[in-house]
Amino acid sequence: MSAVIDKVADIALRHRSGRWWSAFAVAGALLLLLVGATGWLFYRGVGVWGIDWPVSWGFAIINYVWWIGIASGGTFISALFFLMETDWRTSVSRIAETMTVFAAACAGIFPILHLGRPWLFYWLFPARNTMTLWPQFRSPLLWDFFAVLAYVTASILFWYFGAIPDLAALRDRASSRRRQIAYGIFALGFRGSDTQWRHYRAVYGTFAAIMAPLVVSVHSIVGLDFAGASTVGWHSTEFPPFFVFGALLSGLAMVLLLLLPLRWMLKLDELITPRHFDVLSRLLLMSSLLVGYAYVMDVFSVYYSGDPAELAVFHTKLHGAYAPVYWATIVFNLLLPQLLWSARLRVNPFLIAIVSVGVIYGMWCERYSIVVLSLRRSDLVSAWGNYHGTLWDYALLFGSIGLFSVGLLLAVRYVPVVSMADVREASEAP
Amino acid sequence: MPPLTRQWRSWQELADDPLFLARAAQEFPSLASALSNSMDRRRVLKLMAAAFAMGGLSGCDLGAPSGVLISAVNPAPGIIAGRPNFYATAHVLDGMATGILVKHQMGRPIKVEGNPHHPASMGATSVFAQAIPLDFYDPDRSTEVLLDNHPGDWQNLVARLAAKRNEFSHTGGAGLRILTGTITSPTLGATLGELMSHYPEARWHQWDARSRDSLRAGALTAYGTAAAFVPKLDNVDVLLAIDSDLLESAPGHLKFARDFAARRNPTRTDSMSRVYAVESTPGLLGAAADHRFAANPAEMQSIIAALAQRVLRGDASLATDAPPWISAVATDLLAHPGRALVHVGPDLSAEVHALVHAINDKLGGRGSSYELLASPEHTPVDHAASLQALTDDLDAGKVDTVLIVDVNPVYSGPGSLDFARSLEAAKLSISLSVLPSETSPKTRWALPMAHDWETWSDACAYDGTATIMQPQALPLYNGKSPLDVLALFYTAEPPTPQTAVRATWQSRLNDTPDGAVWHAALAAGVVTGTRSAPITSALRGAAATIQLLATSSRPLHVVFKPDAQVWDGRYANNAWLQELPRPLTKLTWDNPLLISPSLAQRLSLRNGDHGKLSVGNKQLTAPVWIVPGQAADCITATLGFGRALGRISHNAGTNTYPLTGLADAPTLEKVVGHDTLACTEHHDLILNVGEHIVRHGRLADFQSNSALFKDPEPAPEIYRHHPPGPAAWGMSIDLNACIGCNACAIACQAENNVPVVGKEQVIAQREMHWLRVDRYWEGSVEAPDAYFQPMLCMHCEQAPCETVCPVGATVHDAEGLNVMVYNRCVGTRFCSNNCPYKVRRFNYLAYADEEQRAIESRNPDVTVRMRGVMEKCTFCVQRIAEARIAADEAGAPVGPVQTACQGACPSRAITFGNLADPGSEVSARKKSPLNYAVLGDQNTHPRVTYEGRIRNLNPDLAAPPTHDPA
Repeated sequence: MSAVIDKVADIALRHRSGRWWSAFAVAGALLLLLVGATGWLFYRGVGVWGIDWPVSWGFAIINYVWWIGIASGGTFISALFFLMETDWRTSVSRIAETMTVFAAACAGIFPILHLGRPWLFYWLFPARNTMTLWPQFRSPLLWDFFAVLAYVTASILFWYFGAIPDLAALRDRASSRRRQIAYGIFALGFRGSDTQWRHYRAVYGTFAAIMAPLVVSVHSIVGLDFAGASTVGWHSTEFPPFFVFGALLSGLAMVLLLLLPLRWMLKLDELITPRHFDVLSRLLLMSSLLVGYAYVMDVFSVYYSGDPAELAVFHTKLHGAYAPVYWATIVFNLLLPQLLWSARLRVNPFLIAIVSVGVIYGMWCERYSIVVLSLRRSDLVSAWGNYHGTLWDYALLFGSIGLFSVGLLLAVRYVPVVSMADVREASEAP
Repeated sequence: MPPLTRQWRSWQELADDPLFLARAAQEFPSLASALSNSMDRRRVLKLMAAAFAMGGLSGCDLGAPSGVLISAVNPAPGIIAGRPNFYATAHVLDGMATGILVKHQMGRPIKVEGNPHHPASMGATSVFAQAIPLDFYDPDRSTEVLLDNHPGDWQNLVARLAAKRNEFSHTGGAGLRILTGTITSPTLGATLGELMSHYPEARWHQWDARSRDSLRAGALTAYGTAAAFVPKLDNVDVLLAIDSDLLESAPGHLKFARDFAARRNPTRTDSMSRVYAVESTPGLLGAAADHRFAANPAEMQSIIAALAQRVLRGDASLATDAPPWISAVATDLLAHPGRALVHVGPDLSAEVHALVHAINDKLGGRGSSYELLASPEHTPVDHAASLQALTDDLDAGKVDTVLIVDVNPVYSGPGSLDFARSLEAAKLSISLSVLPSETSPKTRWALPMAHDWETWSDACAYDGTATIMQPQALPLYNGKSPLDVLALFYTAEPPTPQTAVRATWQSRLNDTPDGAVWHAALAAGVVTGTRSAPITSALRGAAATIQLLATSSRPLHVVFKPDAQVWDGRYANNAWLQELPRPLTKLTWDNPLLISPSLAQRLSLRNGDHGKLSVGNKQLTAPVWIVPGQAADCITATLGFGRALGRISHNAGTNTYPLTGLADAPTLEKVVGHDTLACTEHHDLILNVGEHIVRHGRLADFQSNSALFKDPEPAPEIYRHHPPGPAAWGMSIDLNACIGCNACAIACQAENNVPVVGKEQVIAQREMHWLRVDRYWEGSVEAPDAYFQPMLCMHCEQAPCETVCPVGATVHDAEGLNVMVYNRCVGTRFCSNNCPYKVRRFNYLAYADEEQRAIESRNPDVTVRMRGVMEKCTFCVQRIAEARIAADEAGAPVGPVQTACQGACPSRAITFGNLADPGSEVSARKKSPLNYAVLGDQNTHPRVTYEGRIRNLNPDLAAPPTHDPA
């Protein structure tokens, strides 16, 4: 096993790869797009987007929900399966957690960009102020703010804390003084003593126990952002579990999608084996079925209530101007993953790539369908309208992909992509 | 005068040098004229002192009549900071006055209210009157005298006119032509009379772009005088309105709307009127009618012929080309002698008007359902003939001098004339206009006209009642009153407009020496006892025997209608009016050709596709718009758009005037091109989905079951919130009275500093109106019923917006107002998503900053909202606060409050007040059996409720398919 560990450490300490640089160049360009689009947004106002009356939420919320859903994947794998003591998680957990951190960062910026006056976002804090004003605790958005803040903070800490033994190992292996100091600072003086390991394991376990319910709560709260409103198409009790299912689906798809190029780019074939793809694909299939169940419930509740406005919204989803969005949701999230019933296809990298890209796209469409298609058809017919994203909407969407990719590429470059400590522990286990 | 001393001699020489003078004239026109005059020491010193003083005071207003240019340390008497003052005046449109009260804050006019004492206002205002403040402060206004489109000098013109006076005194004014619009002003009339008495050879021409010639000619045929036909709709049981403008633009329409509405709500009137409307394009009267029939102009002609046949000649047989419903309508009219009325619009011919006079006479309504009053116009003439005569004289070289006062024939002249070319023949042409018009660059001298709010004047209402119009502010620019300019043609020392107006009324008022009557008339905005007398002449027999010539049926008709908001184009530079959605089409900023669904299908045209309309050898290309209920083979071309000047009006729409006045048959063909039009109805046409939103039923059903619109009693609720009070503000809107005229919407905009967003932002679905008038169609696309519903913040007692705001920026107050705290808003827009009525508006961009609008014109009592902030109707909280303060001062319970929308409403559809006071009108209206809440099933408990609409259908007519009130 030590050969594997050496290799992982080498990636962080010595790896020079043209593949990495070309990926970084593309990601960096997209990040610049994000910076430019954000600058223009702050200068002109949210009117640069396509949002309007009555569709006053648009890409910012869609992207936010999309990214926060994607972020769930890492937490599920590293926290939930850690608690369940699953053995296969060791070689993919670091990649998944890193993905979570940067997806959560992308998710975190959108609610702020979304605001009409983003420079006042801190008013959502229950902070002391001269007017002795509190935030409004009945609003789902406030709890969403708390939940996301807690989730992003906890994800970063969880990721960092899990990497401490590895950072210490890199410090010890580093040849240059600069690296020794840098890794040394981040290793927080971890020396690998028994006491330190004992404390480390206790805290890590506690963290995992916190993270696992947190990932469920954050997505439930995101669901409540919609369900808590009386808006047609949103006002549904099934939204919290529906959003957890959706998050799981997109999170797993993103983990699968990242494993493929990283395995190739960093030559990790020995660590990431077909078994990993098989297990993750099964999970993806299961979560797709859960999402499918939610879709069916959605249809059921519309027809069961018989509310004319709900029916109108649903019928425009089925065959209105935006029907392709709804059908893309069904095809990509529900039908496409059914291919994974085949054991042969579950380990076919090409098919896995197609399914996971499809699911990630389908989940974006799902959020588009929830946000836009509901708002454009409210109870009052005179307030019906339309919505189209503008150039700046797309710039921010793709720019956020740049932020995600840059973060991810830097992380895999400087932090071991596989938890060396876990691998060693697994190999030494009886 | 002593000559200049030696030191100045070289200067004098220099000033005499023609080369220098020519250069100076180019550079400094007024300096050149000053230098060319002979100089004396006193004058030079005066000029120097003036230059010195003006240099220092360039920011000051030059129009201060007393010459005091220092701002007041002690405010003027009557002005208390923060308290408004109101001064009466009138809004004049095509000569006809409507009384208004102008609200001033610290001496600045900011808002228009109706004048309750004025017969044409009754306290209400039209959309035009509400929009005056924006016109008054318009930065595009004419600011200086122009000579050949370059800065000119007023004194030069005065000198020029002095020479002309000399000339005309010998020739008797031969070659002098004056062109004005309709004039009802006694002072202006007297001045013109004076001018004519000096120069018998001079000619005065009148012309308005909106022709009412057929009314004058029809009355002339029927009664021998151009009497004013004044309906008394509160006495009318059965009304047949054909192509009628009674509710939208006829002089006195605010009063007619009030009378009309008085008979439309069966809970407040014992006998509801029945209204039939015949229209080529959907209008306000058709929407308000019980039965509406679409017809093109030729069909209208045959309808009236058939009606005449039946009513005048007692012949019950129907002509083949008359629609079958006409006999049921005629029977209904005949069954209500003395209480039936037929009204026809100004676009129908003079013969039709004369015949309808005869029909009305036969129906016996004279004196009860209508009156005939002496015309308020000063010398009524046929406008088309008058303008034609002027053009002919110009072309014949008979015109030496022409003065054009506040009309714009170069833009809005009929297509059969080329007025701009004809105008070149005049040696001296002078135009006078408040805004630069298409006519002003074509005249040698273009003078800025004083705005009605800057000078003294007077005008009469549709019924002759006179108003003395006092200035509301110091002149913003150096505008001239028409009285100034006209008088200069015959006297070197014209009286000031104030003196002239005072002189007119001196004799008429029979005033006391202290001027008590004059001051009372000024304060009231009405000169009592000036209403025109009814005419006494009987109907001439010839009118009843008119046989309407059957017009040859054309495959296609085109009708030209002035726009509901920019009128004949004079308000095209007013952004409020441009952006106010047209009542039926909900279009803004544009005037597509309105076509029927069947014509659209035949030519495979969609909304916004370009069509080429040709009449004779004239043609224009414009987008088309499909209008349900449009007469099948009839195109409506809206006038007033496509102006060449003005930063607002420029590029808005297409000028359709060049196609007017032509007799040829029109054709329409589809051409390449498509425009996206700014319609505030941001979705495709929907029929028959609003039944629970706009509730309506038939009178017969209501009489058998008064609980027609009652909702089931709500189930008990756990979280029911009751605002504690003491007051409980609420509103009731009567959909029977609402005619959809938009006065409320623009009054709200004016009162609450609601920004204009522009065409692109309307297309992007971001209009900001706090109050919108929703229009729903029901029935088939060929003959739908239209329903209006003013929609504003419902001030729900259980407001869904409040619970979702994370920062508590929208909260409830004790008196039931859903208040918006702009300062606290961070712009999550969740409130808008959660509002079932979608009445919240968001500042997506910095709309208020981008408005090119004088800061002085805003209401200082209302916050101007920044970008990123949500806003919505506040129930005019500033007015409530004012009433609360007054109540606190008096130690009394809070008194009545009138919201801006309520104040403007001509039909009194909107009632606002304190629900905690059982005696208030709004409390009474809420008890109406027609009362219902929109989307009441959402448990929002809105403080705004509606009275459902009842239609009084004729059982003999196959009723149009309506919703069965089950």
